[in-house]
Amino acid sequence: METYQIYSLTSAVLFVIGLAGVFASGHFIKKIIATNIMGGGVFLCLVSFSGRDALAFADPVPHALVITGIVVAVSSAAFALSLARRIKQLTGKESFSNDK
Amino acid sequence: MSVLIDIILAILAVYLAIQCLLAPRLPQTMFLFFAFGLALALAWVRLGAVDVAIAEAAIAAGFLGVLMIDALRDFSHALNKRQGNPTDNQKTLSGNGTKLPWLPGVALGLGLGLFLLIALEAIWKMPDGGGLTVLAGEMLPVSGVGNPVTAVLLNYRGYDTWLEIGVILMALLAIVATGGTEVYRRPGMAARDPLLRQVILFFTPILFLFGAFLLYAGKAAPGGAFQAAVLWGAMGILLHLGGWPVFAVIPRWLRQLILALGLGAFLLMGFLFMAGGGALFEYPPAHAGVLILIVETLAAISIAAALTAIYTLFNQMNEEPDQADSTN
Repeated sequence: METYQIYSLTSAVLFVIGLAGVFASGHFIKKIIATNIMGGGVFLCLVSFSGRDALAFADPVPHALVITGIVVAVSSAAFALSLARRIKQLTGKESFSNDK
Repeated sequence: MSVLIDIILAILAVYLAIQCLLAPRLPQTMFLFFAFGLALALAWVRLGAVDVAIAEAAIAAGFLGVLMIDALRDFSHALNKRQGNPTDNQKTLSGNGTKLPWLPGVALGLGLGLFLLIALEAIWKMPDGGGLTVLAGEMLPVSGVGNPVTAVLLNYRGYDTWLEIGVILMALLAIVATGGTEVYRRPGMAARDPLLRQVILFFTPILFLFGAFLLYAGKAAPGGAFQAAVLWGAMGILLHLGGWPVFAVIPRWLRQLILALGLGAFLLMGFLFMAGGGALFEYPPAHAGVLILIVETLAAISIAAALTAIYTLFNQMNEEPDQADSTN
């Protein structure tokens, strides 16, 4: 079993954990964190595939994509956090709920 | 032996992710999330993606961590406070106190399990070959840089990187819009700690130098504009915390110029190459190295400024808007 195989299998597990978190948790920040865990799974998948047919160096295109992806994910998480804080300030709610 | 390290690291990442989503208190969730990010960074070092590891540790664990800790001030710490008794184990099990009804819970579990099996099978059966390693290696001598990842980011796929700088600016604009103000205020009394100020003064030049080193080293080794930008952004954030609010004291036009510099210079250069007969973002091979360094430096300055601005806006988000007056 090679390194990239271990991590590519882990990536699927991480993605599903994040997906479960998005559905099962109600708190805004937990949902944001769960989407970031999903993102981590996707990035791990891309990077581990780039190691499969490495010659002198691993495939740099997925690496560059992942660096771009990390920055975009953090930007959107920052925006989501600011939205969550704004909702909390305006309504006092911390989670989505139907019973209010 | 090395496989053992990878297996332990993989188990650690999965464990931290699960714990992160099950933790009963918000600070625990956040710190487990940083730990998860750092575990991922280690995984990327193991996979040979050192550029990605630096970016992950600096941006995803570091910068997002700072923003999340700042957001902690707004939210109550116990996630199941609304339900009353925080020691009730039944309620903490489902994550945040809103316990799923059993039928949707089972359906969700089955669906996720099925999805996991399909994903695992797809990954396992992924055919070898393909990939752009050979092509990227062949073109490396004319790309102007020695690090293949930097070559992809700034040369082969310059378009993506350009738009990425735009995404950061968009995020900043969106945060300004949700905050309702584009006024950068001086921080309150928290910044009067003399020890903190001295430590920050000591570390600022080191951070600057280290960022500049990462920027320059990105040509031939892991590093580059984004990693340098985060260090410079950290410098701005520290200065802000120490009572030197860089973003509150510089005039508005200069602030906007710095923020737009990276995106603008990148685009301008792209169009100049088009005027010279090439494609958009197609560097002339003879000068590619120098041009990439210029674009990277300007982009790093812009990104660092945007990160500092995002943090500054976050930091003043929970202060009353009418409490302090504008510095503009």
